[in-house]
Amino acid sequence: MDKMEGSFSVEDMQNVQINIGAVVKEVEEWDQPMGPFPYPSIATLRDWDFKLINRYRVFYSPICDRCTLCTYGPCDLTGDKRGACGIDQAAQQGRIVLLAVLMGCTAHCAHGRHLYHWTLEKFGDLPFKMGDEILVDAPLTRTITGTKPKTLKEFGPVLGYVEEQVAQLLACTHTGQEGNYRDFESKALHAGMLDSLGKEVSDMIQIIAYDMPRGDEDAPLVECGMGTLDKNKAILITYGHNLAGSAEAMFYAEDNKLWDKVDIGGVCCTAIDNTRIGEGLGYPEEIQTKYRMVGTKAKIAGAMGWWRKMVEANVMDCVMVDEQCVYTNALEECQEKKVPLIATNEKIMLGLPDRTNDPVDEIVDDLVNFRMPGVAIIDPIKAGEVGVRTAIAVKPKRADERKKAFITEEEFKKYAESCTYCHSCQFVCPPHIKIGDVVQEAAKGNLEPLSSTYEICVGCRRCEQACPQDIPILSLYAYANQEYIKNQKFKMRAGRGPVKDTEIRRVGAPLVLGTIPGVIAIIGCANYPNGTKECYDIAREFVDRGFIVTTTGCMAMDMSLYTDEDGKTIWEQFPGGFDGRNICNIGSCVSNAHIHGAAIKVATIFAGRNERANYDDIADYILSKVGACGVAWGAMSQKAASIATGFNRLGVPAVVQPHSVMYRRAFLGRTDKKEDWEIIDARDGSRVYCEPAPEHMLYVAESVEECMLMMAKLCFRPSDNSQGRMIKLTHYCDISMKYFGCMPPDWPIYVRHASDLPLKWKEDMMKELESKYGWEIDWKRKAILSGPIRKSDVSFDPTNIERKIRVKK
Amino acid sequence: MAVDTTKNAVPFEMAQIPGPEMAKAYNTAVIGAIVKKAKRPLLVVGAELFEDPVMFDKAIEIGKTGVPIAATAHSIKGFVERGYTDNVTMIGLHPLTNYLRFKDWQGLDGKGQYDVVIFMGIFYKFASAMFSALKNFNRDIKRVSIDRYYHVNADMTFGNLAFDPEKYHEAIDEVIAKLAA
Repeated sequence: MDKMEGSFSVEDMQNVQINIGAVVKEVEEWDQPMGPFPYPSIATLRDWDFKLINRYRVFYSPICDRCTLCTYGPCDLTGDKRGACGIDQAAQQGRIVLLAVLMGCTAHCAHGRHLYHWTLEKFGDLPFKMGDEILVDAPLTRTITGTKPKTLKEFGPVLGYVEEQVAQLLACTHTGQEGNYRDFESKALHAGMLDSLGKEVSDMIQIIAYDMPRGDEDAPLVECGMGTLDKNKAILITYGHNLAGSAEAMFYAEDNKLWDKVDIGGVCCTAIDNTRIGEGLGYPEEIQTKYRMVGTKAKIAGAMGWWRKMVEANVMDCVMVDEQCVYTNALEECQEKKVPLIATNEKIMLGLPDRTNDPVDEIVDDLVNFRMPGVAIIDPIKAGEVGVRTAIAVKPKRADERKKAFITEEEFKKYAESCTYCHSCQFVCPPHIKIGDVVQEAAKGNLEPLSSTYEICVGCRRCEQACPQDIPILSLYAYANQEYIKNQKFKMRAGRGPVKDTEIRRVGAPLVLGTIPGVIAIIGCANYPNGTKECYDIAREFVDRGFIVTTTGCMAMDMSLYTDEDGKTIWEQFPGGFDGRNICNIGSCVSNAHIHGAAIKVATIFAGRNERANYDDIADYILSKVGACGVAWGAMSQKAASIATGFNRLGVPAVVQPHSVMYRRAFLGRTDKKEDWEIIDARDGSRVYCEPAPEHMLYVAESVEECMLMMAKLCFRPSDNSQGRMIKLTHYCDISMKYFGCMPPDWPIYVRHASDLPLKWKEDMMKELESKYGWEIDWKRKAILSGPIRKSDVSFDPTNIERKIRVKK
Repeated sequence: MAVDTTKNAVPFEMAQIPGPEMAKAYNTAVIGAIVKKAKRPLLVVGAELFEDPVMFDKAIEIGKTGVPIAATAHSIKGFVERGYTDNVTMIGLHPLTNYLRFKDWQGLDGKGQYDVVIFMGIFYKFASAMFSALKNFNRDIKRVSIDRYYHVNADMTFGNLAFDPEKYHEAIDEVIAKLAA
C-alpha cells in the first residue's frame, strides 16, 4: 500500500479491517532523554566489560581439561595445547561459562515468558502499577532497554529482546565461532545482564497479576518448616519456581472452602511465591475480592535442599512440580512412596502422559487408584484442581504409607550394623560427611552424629548408590531425626518485593558515603557446606553490624530455621525495611532483580543519574560508589552463575562458597599492579591511583569466616568519606580479629587519612603505620603526612568512563 | 617402615577425572626431597587443619625448616593461638592462586615467584580446582599435595589416607624428617 499521510474520514467505511503495525512514536511521558545504549546488543557494552576484566582478571580453574563438543574431539587442552578447531583452554573455559550463564538466564527468562502468556490469558492486560512509593518501577528494564512499560503487555518486547540476544549468544558457543576468552567473558556478562532483566520482568508480572507486596517491609510472617504441615489434612506439595499451577490450587482450595481438608506447602521458590499472593495494594480486582491474603494460608515446606528429606519423612500426599530446581527423579521417588505427581509445565514432563485435555474426574480417579504414578497437565487451572482433589482423595488410601513414614527400630539397627566401613560413601559425598563413622556410631546406638550432620547432608543420595550393602542412608537420617522433622516449625517473612523509592531516599547518602557500611545480598540455595546454618550466621553477623541485609529464595527459607535464645527467628528479631539493622526477604529467585534495582535506584533517585538506556554509566556509579556485596553460600544451579554474573556487570561483587569452583571462573584483582587501580576523577579527568575498592568481583571463600571477612572488605568504595571508611574499616578489622585472631594484613591500603582509622585501634595503628610501613606521622596533630596510596578528598568523583568527565584538565 | 603413600591413588571425589594428565602418587621420601630441593617453596594450608589440630603443629614444624607458610581461609588463627607467625602470611586461597598463575608475581615476601607449592589441610574440591588452575595456566610451578587425599590435578600427591589419620600423621612426620635432615 502506498504511504498515506494526513487525516482521513472513516464514516463511510463498512467491514474494513485496519491493521496498524506499531505506533512508532507516542507522546513522551518521560523527562529523561534516551540514553546512549537502548536494547544493547552483544558488543554494545563490550568496552565496559573490558574495563571490568582488565581490573578483575579472569581466573579459570578447569574441571575438565578436554573438549568433547565436536567430532574432532576429544581434544586435550591441558596447559598450552589447543583443540583441533584451534581453541585454547582459556577460551574453552569461557565458552563453558557462557553456556552456564545462558542456562541460568534462559531459565529465568522462560519463566517470565510463561507467566507473560499465562497472566495475559487469565487476567487480560493489566496496568503496571507499583504504587505511590515506587515510581522508578522497573529499573532494569529502564536502564537496559530505555523503555517504561505501562501495562503487562508492554513487557512483551522486553522479553523478545532477551530471547533474541540469547539466541545470538548461544550461537557464539558453536564450534568455529568465538575463540577469545575475553570476548567469551564479555558475552557471559551480557548474558548475566539479560538474566537480571528476565528476572525483573518475571517478578513484575507476578507481582502485578497476583497482587503481591510492593515493597512492604511489614509483609506477613508465614509458617515455614516440615513440621508446619498438618498431618490431619491432606498435604499437597508444590515444587519449583513457577507459581501458575500452585496458585490455581490455592484458588481452588479457597473457592471450595477446602483449607480445613488440605495443606498446601511449597518447596523451593514456588513456596515463597505462594505466600506472596493477595498481599499487595488491592488490585487486580479478582485477587482483591476473592483471594485477599490467601498467601498466608500456604506454607513453606522448605528449600530445595530439603526435598529428599521430605520424601524420606513422607510428609506429602500429592506433588505438583512446575519448573527449575526439581530433582529429575522426583517421579521415581514419589512413586516409591505412592505419592501421585502432577507435572504442570512443559519444561518438565518426566515422560508422563499429557492429560491436559482429559476430564478432571478421570485424571483424579487414575491418580488416586495408582493406575499411573503421575500425569502431565499443562493447564494451570486444571492442574490446580487435580492437585487438590487428588491430595484429598488419596490421603486415606495412603494411610498405610503414612504409618510407615520412618523405618522401624529393627530395620534401622539391621541397616546400620550391615555397614562394612568401606568408605565408598565418603568418596562421593559432596560435603564430605564421614558417613562411615556416622553409621558405625548409629550401629552402636549413638544417633547424635546422624542428628548433627542432618542439615549438612544435601540429600543427593550419591552415598546410597555407592554403598555395596545397599544401606538406605537417607532413611537412617530420617529415622534419627523424627522429632526434629515433627518440630521443624518456624516463621518466615513473606517476600516483600522491590525496594521503595522512599527507602532509597533515606539510605542513599549514608550508603554512598559509607556510613551505612553496605548492602549484603544473600542469595541462591544454601546447600553446602553447613549452608543452612551458615547463611543464618552470615545474615546475623551483618544485620547486627548495621548493614542492610537482603535475601531471596532458598536462603530466606533456610535462615528461618534458626532462632535466638528467645525462640525468635531472624525475621522476628529485626524489621524488614531496606535500612541498616534490617533484614528484607525480597522474594523468590526472580526477585533478585530488585536488589539490582535498588542499586540502580541509588544512582537515579539519590544521585540523579539518568538511567534510561544508560547501563554502563549506572554500573560505573555502582562500582565506584555503592557499597554492596552479594553472597551465594551454597548455590547449586547454573542460575547462580547467571545471577552472580549479572551482579558483576552492574558493578556489584559476589562471594561464593568452595563448591562454586564448579562454575570454573572468577574475577580477581591484583593489588600488586598499581596500574590496574587507576580511576578517573570526573571533575577534571585527572587519573588517580586508588586503593583496590572493591578488590575482587567474584571470589570463592574457603570458610564462612573468610566469606564474612571478604564481604566486609568488598563493601569498600572509592567514594567513602572518612566517617564511612572508618566504619567500614572498623567492621573489616573487627571481623578479622573475631574470626582470624589478628588484623588483616592489608588494612593500611584502605587508609587515606588519620580520620579513616577505627577509633578503637587508632593509636596502635598509627604506630604500626610509622614503624612497620614507614609512613610519616605528625604525632602532635595526630595526622598522616605521607604513606597512603592517595589523599582523602571529599570532592573526589570517581568514574571509569571517559564521557563522564565534566571539564578536561 | 615408611608409610606407603602411593596406595589408593584414585580421585577422592570419584567422578573427578579431568583428562589425560593426572597426578602420580609418591612416597614421602621423594616428596620430602622435592620440597627440600626447591629454591622457592611455599606451604599452603587451609581451614581443615582445625578438624585435626595436631596438623597445625606439624605445619609449624615444616615452617621451622624454612618453608614459608600461606595460611588460607581463617587458618591463621591456629598459628596465632600457637604463637607462631614468623613466616606465616594470611591470604585467601583464591587470590593466592591467582597470583601464583602470573609469572611476574614477586611472592608474599617480594622476592620472586615460587617454584614448588605444597597444599595441606584444604577443602578437597577447592584445592583440586586451584591445582587445576596452576596445571593449566602456570606450568612452571610444581604442584605437590601432602594432604590426606589423592589430588588428581597435582603433579605429586599421596594416595588417599583420609580414613587412616594415624598413618597420615606418620606420613607427614616422615616428610618433616626429610626436610629437617
